[in-house]
Amino acid sequence: MKMATTSKSKRTGKSSTPAYVPPKKLPISFSVNGQEVNTEAPAHTSLLYLLRDLGFTEVKNGCEAGDCGACTILLDGLAMNACCALGVQAEGREITTVKGIGTVDNLHPIQVKFIEHGAIQCGFCTPGMIVAAKELLDLTPNPSRHEIKAGIAGNLCRCTGYVKIIDAIEAAAEELSSKKGKGK
Amino acid sequence: MRGFDFVAPTSISAALKAAKGRSTKFIAGGTNFLPDLRHQHDGPAKVVIDLMRISGLQGISSSKGVVKMGALTTMTDFLTDKTILREAPILAAMSEKFAGPIIRNRATVAGNIIDGGPAADAVPPLLALKAKVRLASEKGRRTVDLDKFLTGYRQTAIRSDELITAVTFPSPGRNHKWGYYKLARRNAMAITVVGVAVVLKVRRKKVEEAGISLGSVTAAPIRCYEAEKILEGNVVDLELAQKAAEACAAVAAPIDDIRASAEYRKLMCEVLPRRLICQALDISQDND
Repeated sequence: MKMATTSKSKRTGKSSTPAYVPPKKLPISFSVNGQEVNTEAPAHTSLLYLLRDLGFTEVKNGCEAGDCGACTILLDGLAMNACCALGVQAEGREITTVKGIGTVDNLHPIQVKFIEHGAIQCGFCTPGMIVAAKELLDLTPNPSRHEIKAGIAGNLCRCTGYVKIIDAIEAAAEELSSKKGKGK
Repeated sequence: MRGFDFVAPTSISAALKAAKGRSTKFIAGGTNFLPDLRHQHDGPAKVVIDLMRISGLQGISSSKGVVKMGALTTMTDFLTDKTILREAPILAAMSEKFAGPIIRNRATVAGNIIDGGPAADAVPPLLALKAKVRLASEKGRRTVDLDKFLTGYRQTAIRSDELITAVTFPSPGRNHKWGYYKLARRNAMAITVVGVAVVLKVRRKKVEEAGISLGSVTAAPIRCYEAEKILEGNVVDLELAQKAAEACAAVAAPIDDIRASAEYRKLMCEVLPRRLICQALDISQDND
């Protein structure tokens, strides 16, 4: 069999497919839950992929389109979808994941109430849901049920039907504000 | 995917310099850019320029009857900024319906405009407020009316070397009347079926100036100039509101899609403007 393509490329001096050049990696430094992270990644890596590749797998990959909220994190205290930012955009920023809000040994009242109210079923939405609830309660310490619904409107849950999640956030708000009252 | 260079300048001039002579994509909140990126095999451009660190693109101010919003003003800012809440509460009402709270923290006003989508929710209220877009390039600055800036489906009048620095609108005054409605399949995270914005300057019961606009029913959101003219200079009653509403429906050219039929959208382009005009002006509507 004749190798037509080979002779063609010999004549033009070009190969038919350009050689693969791996994307250049850029250095990135930021903090996650108070821990300094120095890493490098190609510019097109989403913050979601960057965090998960670094082992912060509590940041869940749901839709990668900003629709489901499973990857919700706090960036300098503001809730956002990790899938909707480039990793390089996090340079110098402070990131908080659900583990920065509370750990298994030291649960945050929101997490305690989620457990008590059965607001976790499969658990996939929970890390993002708790981060969203944290921002909501930071901004609105005594939310109405309507405000809770609006506050978690960007976080999908396919198991609970939301009632238990709303109950849990309502109970957490009560506990947090009564604690605050005692502190004064 | 083919990689790209990335820079995050801290000034407008540095951003424009970095863009010079290269295929460039400016990004901010990334709420459209990242989801789109997944489908772009060839990459978005040679260089991606992050605008989020440019303080010159931030802040909301008001002076001499003009409200200026930096390009990086987020939808969350619309809900919390005192100048916006005082001068144009319609923007807060819109923002409340814009995606969800997490997206609103990142989505910017310039991003919503430049994306050029027919269902860009921030655009109808800005059209009704007669907003202008401020642009900068290395050659200089210019200002374009928002209705002239949007030229078609995902098309704008921006030049390849330009970037949006701010969006401005003339203050409609303390006593202006307004109405906003987003018709959608859900209360949040929904793509608009029909969006309607109405801003009316009223003096001695007469509508002095009107701004009426529709979203999601044409290739890009549009102002309803005919409807505005019908109201302007008149004491508006139900009959005139109906006439204006019909003029709104006349310019709507909706399509059928999974969210609604063109027929339904067209009907809503009459019902919703009439309802909003009547509610804004306290006109009773018997048949609604």
